[in-house]
Amino acid sequence: MRHLVQFRILLTLASLAFVAPVALAVERVERGLLVRYDFSEDDGQTIADRSNVGKPLNLVIDRSSRVRRSGGALVVESSSSIASTQPATKIIAAVKKSNAISVEAWLKPANRSQSGPARIVSISSNTSNRNLTLGQDKDFYDVRLRATGSDHNGLPSTSSPKRSLQTKLTHVVFTRDAGGKTTVYLDGKRVAGKTVKGNFRNWDDRQRLFLANEATKDRPWLGELHLVALYDRALSDKDVRQNFAAGSRAGRAPPSADNVVKADTLLFDRHVAPLFAKHCLECHDAAIKKGELDLSHKTSAVAGGESGKVVVPGKASQSLLWELVSSDDMPKDRPPLSPEEKDSLRTWIDSGAAWPVEAIDPAVYLNEGHAGEVWLQRLTVSEYIATVRSAVGVDIANEARQILPPDLRADGFNNTAYNLNIDLKHVEAYNKLAEIIVSRMDILEFAGRFSKSRKLSTDDTMRDHVAAMGKWLLRGPLDSNEINKYSGIATTVASAGGDFKEAIGYIVQAMLQSPRFVYRIEYQHGDGTSRLVDDYELASRMSYILWGAPPDEDLLRAAERGELTDRNVVEAQVKRMLKDPRTIERSEEFVSQWLNLGRLANLRPNAKKFPNWNAQLAADMQQETLAYFKEVVWTRNRPLSDLLNTQVTFATPPLARHYGLKPTGNNTDNKIARYDLTKVPSRGGLLTQASVLTIGGDEASMVARGLFVLNDLLRGTINAPPPCVNTVPPPTKTGLTQRGIAESRIADNKCGVCHTRFEPLAFGLEKFDGIGAYHDKDEHGNTLRDDGEVLFPGTAKPVAYQTSNELMDLLATSERVQQSLTWKVTQFALGRPLVAADAATVAKIHQTAQQAGGTYSDLITAIVMSDLVQRARTEATE
Amino acid sequence: MHRKRIDRRTMLKGVAVKGAGAVTIGLPLLEEMTASSAMAAEQADVPVRAFNVFFGLGIPAPLQKEGFDGVLEPLKPLSKKLLIMRGVDQLRADEKGINAHYDGATAAFTAEPPDGEAKAGGASIDQVIRRNHYRDGMPAGMVPTLVAGTFFRRSRIGRYVHSYNADGTVAATMQEKPRDLFERVFGTIGAVDEDPDKRRARLKRSVLDTVVDQYKFYTGANSPLGSTSKARIAEHLDRIREFEQRAYAMKGKVAGAPPLPPRSQLLHGGSADPGGEGIDITLQELSSEWRLMADLYALAIQTDRTRFGALTFLAAGERIRLKGDYEYDGRTVFQFDDEGQHKKSGSAGCSHEWWHQFNENKKNEALRAHAHLKMREIAYFLSRLDTEDSVDANGKTILENSLITISTESGDGRHNDVKRELSGVFHAISGAGGRFKTGRILDVGAEGVDVYNTMLTAMGCNDRLGPQKRDARAVDAIRA
Repeated sequence: MRHLVQFRILLTLASLAFVAPVALAVERVERGLLVRYDFSEDDGQTIADRSNVGKPLNLVIDRSSRVRRSGGALVVESSSSIASTQPATKIIAAVKKSNAISVEAWLKPANRSQSGPARIVSISSNTSNRNLTLGQDKDFYDVRLRATGSDHNGLPSTSSPKRSLQTKLTHVVFTRDAGGKTTVYLDGKRVAGKTVKGNFRNWDDRQRLFLANEATKDRPWLGELHLVALYDRALSDKDVRQNFAAGSRAGRAPPSADNVVKADTLLFDRHVAPLFAKHCLECHDAAIKKGELDLSHKTSAVAGGESGKVVVPGKASQSLLWELVSSDDMPKDRPPLSPEEKDSLRTWIDSGAAWPVEAIDPAVYLNEGHAGEVWLQRLTVSEYIATVRSAVGVDIANEARQILPPDLRADGFNNTAYNLNIDLKHVEAYNKLAEIIVSRMDILEFAGRFSKSRKLSTDDTMRDHVAAMGKWLLRGPLDSNEINKYSGIATTVASAGGDFKEAIGYIVQAMLQSPRFVYRIEYQHGDGTSRLVDDYELASRMSYILWGAPPDEDLLRAAERGELTDRNVVEAQVKRMLKDPRTIERSEEFVSQWLNLGRLANLRPNAKKFPNWNAQLAADMQQETLAYFKEVVWTRNRPLSDLLNTQVTFATPPLARHYGLKPTGNNTDNKIARYDLTKVPSRGGLLTQASVLTIGGDEASMVARGLFVLNDLLRGTINAPPPCVNTVPPPTKTGLTQRGIAESRIADNKCGVCHTRFEPLAFGLEKFDGIGAYHDKDEHGNTLRDDGEVLFPGTAKPVAYQTSNELMDLLATSERVQQSLTWKVTQFALGRPLVAADAATVAKIHQTAQQAGGTYSDLITAIVMSDLVQRARTEATE
Repeated sequence: MHRKRIDRRTMLKGVAVKGAGAVTIGLPLLEEMTASSAMAAEQADVPVRAFNVFFGLGIPAPLQKEGFDGVLEPLKPLSKKLLIMRGVDQLRADEKGINAHYDGATAAFTAEPPDGEAKAGGASIDQVIRRNHYRDGMPAGMVPTLVAGTFFRRSRIGRYVHSYNADGTVAATMQEKPRDLFERVFGTIGAVDEDPDKRRARLKRSVLDTVVDQYKFYTGANSPLGSTSKARIAEHLDRIREFEQRAYAMKGKVAGAPPLPPRSQLLHGGSADPGGEGIDITLQELSSEWRLMADLYALAIQTDRTRFGALTFLAAGERIRLKGDYEYDGRTVFQFDDEGQHKKSGSAGCSHEWWHQFNENKKNEALRAHAHLKMREIAYFLSRLDTEDSVDANGKTILENSLITISTESGDGRHNDVKRELSGVFHAISGAGGRFKTGRILDVGAEGVDVYNTMLTAMGCNDRLGPQKRDARAVDAIRA
């Protein structure tokens, strides 16, 4: 074992390709946010909802002469109506589901005499019908809230103490949690609280949102509004304090000068860097540097090549780069840039040719198209099995693996969301499996977990029963429509003469086939950037990342209480979850998919060449890698990069013999045993295991092995060979080893440009044959070698190694390899290929994880705590 | 209404059981698979038939006194073929602590209080008659009992199912969509995995309907999903539809059956009863679907596909917010706008509330209009059995030859007085082949159990409803 962790961390810090985003000075707590109005408009009659959650619920001022704008506030000087034109559907739907709400306002009352109460924030239809009103009654605040435990006018209300209202800028927050507890805060401090029993099922779906008046325009409120926000959860004491500390102007859009800079950066990030990566860097990177031009680094690109500067900032027409590209002289022997790409390039040069990064990493721009779209994730077969086991305690593994179509591999993993498509067989299987699952359940015992009632009537307890059961099975609360529909099954069963047990069975069958069970559904609308996920979404993200299974009761309870808004709580949950054996199983699934270990079962090497190959040996190879992974990652708790050079392995006696090791233990029982490889320098590390070496096929192809190292360990990029090239590897013969063949390709003028990037990476593996046995000579008597050199992507000069174990050490200590492992684990965690927009966050994840020790646990923790998990990408709502 | 009526003329002759050879596709339909064919040799030209027709919320007793001048006006054209009974008392059905809507509705046709939430207290009239007249089962291929209806409130089955076995269990599965009713009567349903349990297949299909609704939501306008995800769910929905088609679609239909009716556009299942809060519906929507159901049900009788069962027009304690201009006989009767007229939303804005607000000293305009509408729709169904297509071998119509019992849940809408609520419950019956006095309105002033048992006696049944130890009182005034 080589202990180079400290050195690696230093390297990490020094060489991160992307600078982490600028930290925000003040952060508001906004999880669960539904609408936010910051009144930052300079004029006009519209008050924009700046929540970036769902369809904006903008407000319209009916008579703008009665209000004025003052320093980012809306001053209501005389009776006015500020209202949404449509019902406040997104608020109403969300709080009906959560049974919790918070109303937050930064305001300054004009006086202490207005009453009624004077409506500050109201979701209502007239003076006696309301879902919610935050109002002022002379010298105190009064909040009316409709629930099944209060009346349609929201009475009895919750009030702040008398004389608590001051005519100064005040932070007012009202919260009501799912248990019914209400709290009023003024300037971050609790000042009142009571209980409003029941739930929000009786909220009127048609009421609009009003500021500073009632729908009937006869309860005006006068004063200044600086901020109004509503949430679908009860903000905690800490949240309220934090938002009070953030001040009334936190969270506003940045000044316009910043936007210009941002636009330049976006143009480079989204258009210019990708086109350089796609069209130019194949020849003009640090390694190849044709015409002495390296466009991959800022300094070298600015300096230009043997013809001088290629970019004149601000003047595309005088730039050589533009001249060659616009005339299609470049790229040479490759398709020209599209008109859109050319347009981007010209615009970029004309606007000053800003380089916001030091280096362009082509790997960052590999995945666009499908990968960049927002896909919901279907449960993979293994996730489905784990979800059923956790949700209802039934082991359905055998049947599910038998009748569910297997998940196909895409972008290196089987859980890639865009590829988790749906077929008739899935539908048939989900239907059949639901029936089998229910037949194995103790339905009454299961139903009893959620309610003692065994009544079928939807007027009595069935709706509540369905709500509680659904919340567990579908990983979050049900809305009233869902409750109606699932409860309807009970009445259907009853009208067919069925009983409670049968009804629950069929309801569970329906839930097991529903989209909320089969898919991980999240809210995807927004402004096309991202939004904070809600507590339940986060709980599911966490559990599926860590376990490939749904949230357990503890995690779901934390979500229900709104505790996952607290990063300390999330970290504590992750710490707890890491101790669960399911985390290990999930990590094994990662390595299994990453290395595509499943392919071993399908390998059929040439029987004459490899007479010792059989299905059991293939299974032993798979077992070896999984046991090795578990040893390094979990037993030794080592950094992930130690997977490349830890001097130990696990083998059955046949596999040990295959490796030339003396089998230990009983030869007949074929049990796997641990082997110390400290004195076996030729082996040690993933790349020396047969499961990986078989990637090279019968001929132990340098191309295939080299590409694996390049793509999966170094995150290098390579263009596909030209269509006319025969890519079948020529066989070895006397005097010609695989290395010899590779060297001739590298020397070739056309092939060498690419092959030099990856074939030498496999030179160190030449002594391993097609199925991973070690030889000093090949079948033709040629002497085999294991020296070579590695060209790390982004660098100009290759690094030489003399032996394969030196290669393993080089890789294990390579910052690039460590970064690649971070990218791989992150991709698996998210269930989608990473795109350019993720790069900065992944860099931050990597930095955090490496600083913490670089283990799988450190990495998973950093991933969960990152914006890639805490925030959800959104699709712009039209 | 822009709907073409379905009638027997559209059917080929010989659909009825007697012409078994005319049934070109096998009819593996539920109970009939195991039914006896003993009746195949049945010689009676006019079969014994009995149907229960239920309408929700009732007609307050004081309004019944107005006869055909009041809300009963739509029954007037059929008055000669009906016996209208006032003063029928169902008070013995009252169960303390249970909503009288439910008690009263379950007592309709059974005269018994409910047995828990999912069972009636005993058999319904139609089933007693069926068991007495067809002791060895119904003729092969016939639907033994047909239960259908247009209704929304559904918390307990007693609100909308009105045909029960002797043990209080439902006599047949409720068909609440025109297509379901069609398939039950005229179709052959494919079973899943060759499972002989067709009931299970039907319930699984119902489960799938709920699943489909969920997928539809995620592909609809209010879906939280973006376009690519929505497309994935839409693909899933398509595959479910394909599965549904393969697993459950009607494999064939009886020769000469009418065309498959369109998919229902109304709310069904759990969505139709959102926690007792009621639904919005127009008169056009309500009437169109009900009349399609009525046509199909009538056609089932005309073609002798069924002889027993129940049909429901709106559930007990129904909660709808109806809108639309109501016209009858060329005049505008009322403009329905329950919500607007109540000035309340949710359950408080439903027509149901007119019954709770009933005051015999006031006009009760809205209640009258609703009750009048109910009579219009009940009359629609009855008239379908009184057409030329409905003439039996004896020259009389099905309406005349059958026992059709019409009833409801209450005689008053005020929960604060159970005695008044469960007394004077509206009843009407057809003549049942001359067994009962038709063409009159009788104040019977009797308990429902006695009225029903008298009817059973007249129908030649030995079995009786109600407790064994009870001094029965025959209500001979109703018998011809």
